[in-house]
Amino acid sequence: MTKKAQRDQKIAFTALRISAVLVAIIVVIILLQITINGYSILSIDFLTEMPRNRMTEGGIYPAILGTIYLIIGSMGVALPLGILAAIYLNEYAQPGRTKWIIEMAIINLAGTPSVVFGLFGLAMFVKYLGYGASLIASALTLALMALPIIIRASQEALITVPEEYRYASLALGVTKWQTIRQVVLPPAIPGMITGTILAVGRVAGETAPILLTGAAYFLPRLPDSIYSQFMALPYHLYVIATAGTNIAQTRPIQYGTALVLLTIVLSFNMIAVMIRRHYRRKLRN
Amino acid sequence: MSGSNNGNQTEIEVRGLNLWYGDKQALRDISIDIPKNSVTAFIGPSGCGKSTFLRCINRMNDLVKNCRIDGLIKIDNKDIYAKDVDVVELRKRVGMVFQKPNPFPMSIHDNIAYGPKIHGAAKKDIYGIVEEALKSGALWEEVADRLTTSALDLSGGQQQRLCIARTLAVKPEVILFDEPCSALDPISTSKIEELIMELKQKYTIVIVTHNMQQAARISDYTAFFLLGDLIEYGKTDQIFENPRMKQTEDYITGRFG
Amino acid sequence: MTTGHYREKVIESLLYLSGVTAVIILFLICIFLFKDGLALFQKYPLVEFLTGTKWYPTSEPHQFGLLPLLFGSMIVTFGAIVLSVPLGIVVAIYISELAGAKEAEVLKPLIEILAGIPSVVYGFFGLVVLVPLLQNTFDLPTGQNALAGSIMLGIMALPTIISISEDAISSVPRAIKEGSLALGSTEWQTINKVIIPAALSGISAAVMLGIGRAIGETMTVLMVTGNTAVIPGFPEGLFAPVRTMTATVALEMGEVPQGSEHFYALFAIGSVLFITTFITNIIAEYIKRKYRFNLGSGQ
Repeated sequence: MTKKAQRDQKIAFTALRISAVLVAIIVVIILLQITINGYSILSIDFLTEMPRNRMTEGGIYPAILGTIYLIIGSMGVALPLGILAAIYLNEYAQPGRTKWIIEMAIINLAGTPSVVFGLFGLAMFVKYLGYGASLIASALTLALMALPIIIRASQEALITVPEEYRYASLALGVTKWQTIRQVVLPPAIPGMITGTILAVGRVAGETAPILLTGAAYFLPRLPDSIYSQFMALPYHLYVIATAGTNIAQTRPIQYGTALVLLTIVLSFNMIAVMIRRHYRRKLRN
Repeated sequence: MSGSNNGNQTEIEVRGLNLWYGDKQALRDISIDIPKNSVTAFIGPSGCGKSTFLRCINRMNDLVKNCRIDGLIKIDNKDIYAKDVDVVELRKRVGMVFQKPNPFPMSIHDNIAYGPKIHGAAKKDIYGIVEEALKSGALWEEVADRLTTSALDLSGGQQQRLCIARTLAVKPEVILFDEPCSALDPISTSKIEELIMELKQKYTIVIVTHNMQQAARISDYTAFFLLGDLIEYGKTDQIFENPRMKQTEDYITGRFG
Repeated sequence: MTTGHYREKVIESLLYLSGVTAVIILFLICIFLFKDGLALFQKYPLVEFLTGTKWYPTSEPHQFGLLPLLFGSMIVTFGAIVLSVPLGIVVAIYISELAGAKEAEVLKPLIEILAGIPSVVYGFFGLVVLVPLLQNTFDLPTGQNALAGSIMLGIMALPTIISISEDAISSVPRAIKEGSLALGSTEWQTINKVIIPAALSGISAAVMLGIGRAIGETMTVLMVTGNTAVIPGFPEGLFAPVRTMTATVALEMGEVPQGSEHFYALFAIGSVLFITTFITNIIAEYIKRKYRFNLGSGQ
């Protein structure tokens, strides 16, 4: 090994390491900035009170509630649909044009910008189906965005179930669907849960789609039906950070809202990562 | 060529069977009569079509894309590829034990109970069925006190006997063994061999094996396959001691790589 | 046929329907988006939309020129890619070739966190931290500019670029690497001359996906780029406020009467966005598949 080659390697490796550290630092700075500044305002009251005085005081309760409604509504639609679609793709669809078209569609859905989903939700659910700007229009729009995530994760989970289980069951004279239900699905469920949780994290943080389909700037009352408008954390953060009455004065509330949103989204992510790890370790043994 | 056994009642009758994977022909004009309550071994070098043929008998090849079949297979005088045949029903009658033990990730009890439960056995009968199947599978004494533990904790040989018992619990007429001992140690292998010889009292058994000694030890009839053709079929003693075809002799005396 | 078979058939059709939902949704997105987008061109000429240099949606007469918004998206995306691609690839190399198990165990979750942070939180962080920083550092009239958008989008694109590049790098067969080392190359020469070239097509798929992400990102750019609909110069435009296509839709849809020309113009922008990301998705997927095939046949 020449001196020059050695020196080059040393320089290159140092540069690589610095880059990796840089990325780590960026993440830590973002997390710390939000946590440190948001922590001071966090209290039970902040989480359970209505906003007051044109959102310059009070809590973020309606926004938290709205986000929970959105999660439940969108998952209620996307979860069964996504799992069934994954079962079809993995267990029934033969390689060929139909399967290819479906997979390309899923890839494109996953890569379609959220604001385009928002426009679609506006045109289809708000206008065409006449739901108006509402919880249901937003939840359905978010469900469509969550669908590719759930399908992919469920497919990955189904692929890891050994083929032998299927053969063994079929050779016992058990029908295909019963084989899937009794033998294939049980071991795939942890993987499917992981995908669902990741999708929940995504749904909870999305802003553009709900901005176009039903999220309200401010509401004095909580939503009382699926056709009501609603407040939600990400949109609330956007509103108070950019269009509030006194932006500089309400900084603590903004940080607090960001921290609550970040905590919700990241804890879903962490849970998903932990389940996946646990499951992978179990598989290896 | 065609093969026939002399004497015993025929359980599986095959006539002019051809099979293609896409454009590639994997079996050519196979005809054979497999007798009831006996052990028939399929031998031959790998790629000869013996496993492919075995999988025609319970129509597992249906699961393979691009697989095309013509010819006739009759079990109990009924064409199993006829339009009105229920494949699920057929697989109940024709059980299969695979190369690698493949217990479900469930308890020992649930593995055995799986088939009977789905086929509608009454709840109160399940335990009896499980016990009987495990006894017939020569596993009862080893696992009677731990039926609720995971089947995955058993040794490889025990897992394979569990898979046999699981097949027995569905009460088939024919059992197909696809190289059942290739993943097992010699002691486990001999246990399975004993078990197979016992099972032929009640069942018709077809076994694919790459191990000629195994075929010689346990089978009554032997069929030798080469490159998709059935070269020779007859009583095991005759095939091993006095093969009629040159290729059979070459294989048996080890002149094939 | 038995009832069991009947049930199996019903279930299979149900599953098939769920499977094709994705196709139906994509199809519906096209129809609804293009229908309202095309409605603009009944009154407003398509050519003027595509080549117009002024976006004055509320003045009389209306001017719906796409170019300032298109260039706004392009300059922000360009900046984001320039920042994130080298950094992302380098970090991917570090994780797959150099990092020990412990380091990887720290880095990977951090990158997953990066992927999990909602875009509105990135926007907020950009607004309260990055924007004042840029303004003071470069002594600008405002820190809400294309550069702020590029930096934030660059950070957001990192996880995509890192994870796909990492896949590409780690799928380079071990034997190739060992072959190079056995010839007396240093590890860095092996990475630089053998592994990266072999992983290049996979890495380019990562870049395509990164571009798609950056073009489609809404909330972050909306909050940090200043939203001035003027065609930016280059490269000095990086330091000026710009407005992207996505930000325009999000910003203006709230105040537009449904069915107005302006309303349809926003759908026309949405259609342009959809077509753009559709193309980048297809290209990325094509590269990925081709590259997988190459590896498969090469072994």
